[in-house]
Amino acid sequence: MIVRVSIVEGAVQKSHQTAPQRPAGGATGASLTFSGIAREMEDDRRLKGLSYEVYQPMAQQQLERIARDIGAKHAIQTLSVVHSQGFVGVGEPSLWIQINSAHRAEALLAMGEFIDALKRDVPIWKSPVFADEPTGD
Amino acid sequence: MEVRVKLFGPVAAHANANEITLDVDHPITCGSVLTSLRRTHPDLAPAGARLAINHAFVADTHEVQPSDELALIALVSGG
Repeated sequence: MIVRVSIVEGAVQKSHQTAPQRPAGGATGASLTFSGIAREMEDDRRLKGLSYEVYQPMAQQQLERIARDIGAKHAIQTLSVVHSQGFVGVGEPSLWIQINSAHRAEALLAMGEFIDALKRDVPIWKSPVFADEPTGD
Repeated sequence: MEVRVKLFGPVAAHANANEITLDVDHPITCGSVLTSLRRTHPDLAPAGARLAINHAFVADTHEVQPSDELALIALVSGG
C-alpha cells in the first residue's frame, strides 16, 4: 500500500491533489475522492473562511499512521490526503482524500473511517473567521 | 520537576497562553501529569483531553522525562 500525506499552507489547490500511481495490471476497481470545503455560514453568521492550526510534526505522523492502519484493515492500494493549515476561504477545499482499492466497498468503508479518525485523533483545530473579522494571518 | 505543556486551539484561547508549566513529582507517568493538570487547571482539560508525549499518544503508564515535549490535545476539529 502507498500512503501520501501533505499539509499545505492555505486552501488545497488542484496542484496539491496528486495521488500515487495505481498498481499496474488493472488491479484497481474503485477510485474514491473526497473534498472538504469551507461552508459559507456557521450559527447563522456569514463566514469569510476557516483558520486551521496544526501541531506539527504530530499531525503529519498521525495522518500517516491512521492511513496505514485503515489501509491495511481494508486492503487499500493507495491513500492520499492533503490538509490545509492557515486560512481557507469560503468555497475552497481544506481537505482532499483519494483512496484506490480493488472494490468499492473497501474504499467507501476506509474513507468513512479515515475521516472519523482524522476528526478524533489528529491535532488540527479550525476556527471560524467571520466576514466582519480580520483573518489574523 | 517542571514540565511545560503546549496548548492549542480553544484551550489555548481560553488560557490565553500557548503553554503552561506544571510542577510535578519525578518520576511521573503521563496519566499522573494529566491528573495534576486537571487539578491545577480544571478548565483546560475537557472530557476526552489527552496528553501527547514527543508527538505521539502514549499509555497512561508511560514515564515522562524532563526533556520530553508535552502537548495537551483536546477538542480537535480538523477536516
